[in-house]
Amino acid sequence: MISPTAIGRRIAPLLACIGLLAAWQVAALALKNDSFPTALEAMRAVPAILGDKEALINILASLRRMAIGFAAAVAVSIPLGLLMGRSRAVAAFFNPLLMVIYPVPKAALMPIIMLWLGVGDIAKTLVIFLGVSLPVIYHSFEGAKAVEEKMLWSGAAMGLSAAQRLIRIVLPAALPEILTGCRTGLVLALITMITSEMIARQSGAGNILFNALDMGQYDTVFAMIIIVGAMGIGLDAAFERVRARLVRWSEPQFDMPLSFS
Amino acid sequence: MKVLPSRSNGMVAQVPTRQPATAMIEIDRVSQVFQTSARKDHLALSDISLTIEEGAFVSILGPSGCGKSTLLYIVGGFVSPTSGSAKMKGKTITAPGPDRGPVFQEFALFPWKTVLGNVMYGPRQQGVRDAEAAAQSRALIEMVGLKGYENFFPKELSGGMKQRVALARTLAYHPEVLLMDEPFGALDAHTRTRLQNDLLNIWERDRKTVLFVTHSVDEAVFLSDRIVMMSRSPGRIRQVVDIDLPRPRRRTELLLDPRYQKYVVDIERMFDDGDEAGLNP
Repeated sequence: MISPTAIGRRIAPLLACIGLLAAWQVAALALKNDSFPTALEAMRAVPAILGDKEALINILASLRRMAIGFAAAVAVSIPLGLLMGRSRAVAAFFNPLLMVIYPVPKAALMPIIMLWLGVGDIAKTLVIFLGVSLPVIYHSFEGAKAVEEKMLWSGAAMGLSAAQRLIRIVLPAALPEILTGCRTGLVLALITMITSEMIARQSGAGNILFNALDMGQYDTVFAMIIIVGAMGIGLDAAFERVRARLVRWSEPQFDMPLSFS
Repeated sequence: MKVLPSRSNGMVAQVPTRQPATAMIEIDRVSQVFQTSARKDHLALSDISLTIEEGAFVSILGPSGCGKSTLLYIVGGFVSPTSGSAKMKGKTITAPGPDRGPVFQEFALFPWKTVLGNVMYGPRQQGVRDAEAAAQSRALIEMVGLKGYENFFPKELSGGMKQRVALARTLAYHPEVLLMDEPFGALDAHTRTRLQNDLLNIWERDRKTVLFVTHSVDEAVFLSDRIVMMSRSPGRIRQVVDIDLPRPRRRTELLLDPRYQKYVVDIERMFDDGDEAGLNP
């Protein structure tokens, strides 16, 4: 039996989507502006884009860069954040560096990175890597710092070495916090992906979007926004499912899950 | 929870401290200084010397802030003393080890592991095969009265149940000494009493050496062979009291026993005198 509130929670995001599209449709019809197609017109352009081989290759190239940038960032940031959280020396070394990098918009670094690495995959992937790294480092650091001392002592009494304690106690204990960082990182990966392609116009989903804008194909522009938005929602929902499974042992932090899962 | 089988009353209940005892733990002139701020030092423990014999149940009793937990952490190897030394079977303690098993007031269970996973953790770490570790752990879980809860996560358990798991988890790797740091301090009075009874029942089976930190006089008298009374600022040993009560001890019988009552009253008076003398502000 699914309770009525559970059903409500499931269909609420769907209703929000429909509401948003309806409001868009009404606004576009009322304004009658060439550069503002209706929701239906934009949605009609979606299959055209997804059916185009060139466009698909571009979108897949974007997703590949995003996946590589995200994976690399997570692989580096989790160990670094955990080490910072458990070692004062490591934290003292990296903290000033990160404090300087943190508030700088990563897209602002794009011109320099392009200058050094060109407009290809490496430059764009690097920007994604930088965008994802900071929230993951921050949350891993906070998670590691909050691990109960007595839990580590219990492990030490069982004969776990310092390295074993880091991997087998600090990592799982901090996992809920780490995954919160990863979730923020995933959305940031999508944002930096589009931004990087906006600046280095060579390939990718962002490139299609801005090329269409240049050529005045507004239905394509809005269709791309729908596609990128749907990708974001889909990725976030998928990640939230994985996250919920991995940390089902932990005390719930929010009553209302902020997700579409 | 079912009543655990204990040793029959027919057996002679020897008080372990009276046996020709060998020293398990020797604490030798231990002092501990904590830096509270840049220029202020706080003397948490001052010149503590204490010997704990094998198989003895020794409680450290004192007001909060007397350094009794710190003393236990030093024996555990979790904290290094500023001066002096603690020895286990003649060897100076420098680090934690599976020969000394802690049970903390905060339970400190691994929340990502089930009850069974928690209890199996120590034996697995020591290289016991999975099937064997699981079988031993299941038996221990049954012994602490949690049969049927093997696959529960800690968040699904009450405080008392969590502490039972913590005790089973520590017993699972067969430490020679149990280090119990106010283990029942976070529990309600009813749960606390039940756990005290069960702890005694379990302890009376194999008589491990126990170092038990508490601020409850009743608890210390009920459980211990010997009580080390501490005062604070700085933490010192005020007095050591041997508790000469027969074992196995039954709570209901003991509460009516004038000898038990006298111990409790005497110890409380001693602490009160200390208050008047400014020893326990």
